[in-house]
Amino acid sequence: MINLLYYELFKTYAKWRTYIGFLVVMVVIPLVLWGLKLEGGNFVQRQMGRLQADFLVSGNLFNAWTISQIIMNSLWVHVPFLISLVAGDQLAGEATAGTFRLILIRPVSRARILNAKYAATLIYTASLVLAIAVMSIGLGLLMFGSGDILVLEGGSLTILPESQALFRFALAYALAIWSMWVVASLAFLFSSFVENAIGPIISTMGVIIVFLVVSNLHISAFEFIRPYLFTTHESVWQKAFADPLDWSTIAASCGVLGAYSAALWMATLAIFKTKDILS
Amino acid sequence: MSSEIVLRTIGLGKSYRGRRVVQDLNLEVRRGDVFGFLGPNGAGKSTTIRMILSLITPLTGSVEIFGQDLHRNRERALASVAGIVEKPDFYLYLSAVRNMQIAGSLTLRRTPKKEKIDVCLGLVGLSDRAGDRVKTYSHGMKQRLGIAQALLCDPELIILDEPTNGLDPQGMKEVRELVHHLATEKGITVFLSSHLLNEVEQVATRMAIINKGNLIVQGSVDELLRSNANTVVVNVTPQKKALLLLQKMRSASVVETAEQGIRVEIDQKRIPAMVAALVESGCQVHAVIPEKSLERYFLSMTEQS
Ligand SMILES: Nc1ncnc2c1ncn2[C@@H]1O[C@H](COP(=O)(O)OP(=O)(O)OP(=O)(O)O)[C@@H](O)[C@H]1O
Ligand SMILES: [Mg+2]
Repeated sequence: MINLLYYELFKTYAKWRTYIGFLVVMVVIPLVLWGLKLEGGNFVQRQMGRLQADFLVSGNLFNAWTISQIIMNSLWVHVPFLISLVAGDQLAGEATAGTFRLILIRPVSRARILNAKYAATLIYTASLVLAIAVMSIGLGLLMFGSGDILVLEGGSLTILPESQALFRFALAYALAIWSMWVVASLAFLFSSFVENAIGPIISTMGVIIVFLVVSNLHISAFEFIRPYLFTTHESVWQKAFADPLDWSTIAASCGVLGAYSAALWMATLAIFKTKDILS
Repeated sequence: MSSEIVLRTIGLGKSYRGRRVVQDLNLEVRRGDVFGFLGPNGAGKSTTIRMILSLITPLTGSVEIFGQDLHRNRERALASVAGIVEKPDFYLYLSAVRNMQIAGSLTLRRTPKKEKIDVCLGLVGLSDRAGDRVKTYSHGMKQRLGIAQALLCDPELIILDEPTNGLDPQGMKEVRELVHHLATEKGITVFLSSHLLNEVEQVATRMAIINKGNLIVQGSVDELLRSNANTVVVNVTPQKKALLLLQKMRSASVVETAEQGIRVEIDQKRIPAMVAALVESGCQVHAVIPEKSLERYFLSMTEQS
């Protein structure tokens, strides 16, 4: 299994499309940081609004921690696209290239090959999210320094002490990876149907958009279904900044997301095991 | 030579969207055979090979390799099998060596040894391009790499789908020699498909012909091709005169007059007498060409499709 995974990772990271995501991250994040630097503290002031008049805020709140949240907030709609670019190519790409005929005639079960591919897909997804974390926090620390955490989400103003930063952000990014794995699994499933990666990418984005619309429209007809849509729980990482942490809602969201990933993986496995390879 | 059956298909059949493309196919390949699997384009050769290598599920029947049922015991059945199906495709963005590592590690469960890869690439004449990305390879080079990849894990049975497709005459000759070498020197059983009768005739010991998914004939190449030499084409002038004479001959029966001459069915022993009679009556005999009935049959088959 280790050998299988090694070569699946090797294939994934030897492909140029794998780096599109990293490239985007490496261009967009410095750009946003540079823009924020020019803007200065105005951004935070707008966020805090009139509250500033009522509270005495000390220290530097316009720091790496704030920046990283801003970037996460604005990127988590686009990251799924970058993920499906690679995840949607995992099976379809081999079909397009005709390389299934090279690997699936060998005495290794299709299930093992599929699982290795799935693991490689999850690892890629995690590596992309971690790249965002390292870029935004690392570059943020260099350009803006550290400080207390100004929590941007939620109705009320929350400020967390600097000492909690590492733990809170580790939790936030871990949750982000967990939710992005659903996107990866979805693209992976679509990838097993076709012989071209464009289909899986478009289908994945289509499903996400439809789910997002249903998740975010507060129409009573959709109300009963909302808790079961993965898009409702995709922003679970924001809950890492609640004070106090609400572990039960985090666990519930993770449960729904995990169930999605598992179901999608099992569906892919069922399809792939008996699929006629005609490419 | 032992007659252990290494590959057997039993009532194998497959449909694509309700259209039968392989029908009740019973093949037997014995150890040490170079088995030629002959058929015109679209006959169902690749479809059969896909079923043998577990890329597609048969609609009917089953495949046994080394006595193992492919469906029930896939990994055991395929453990010492390798091959190429349809055109040779690889990870174009990786080098030949990397492609060999990926393919080989699936059989060996570890990365194949560098020396072993070098030997196989050397056998097909790709040593000096081993480190280049396959994207830069010509079709013929990919075809060779396909064979190298198949040889990597010391298989006992190699299945090659039209391995000379797209090669130049020199390359075709090299592949035929390699196949011969593998079978005679290394004792590897080779199953190879082709749409060229003369290719199969040159390398194969046993053969099967399929057309439109149906098995036409199966047996030893010698028996099928050479025992049938009682039809000859007599190239003779003037043809009209010769025709009258031949029609009168008791020992010969004229089948038809063709472009190349008069097609005659005659016992081989009687050919000298026939030639003598023709010459005596003033005809000029340019050639007496023994004809393989299978060849004519195969040609008419390819002409139809
Ligand atoms: N993916 C597919 N979908 C539908 N029909 C197919 C498919 N692949 C092959 N066929 C049909 O199955 C039949 C057999 O095809 P196959 O590729 O097995 O022939 P072949 O003997 O290998 O021919 P060739 O010498 O051209 O390689 C053909 O009639 C072909 O049209
Ligand atoms: Mg074919």
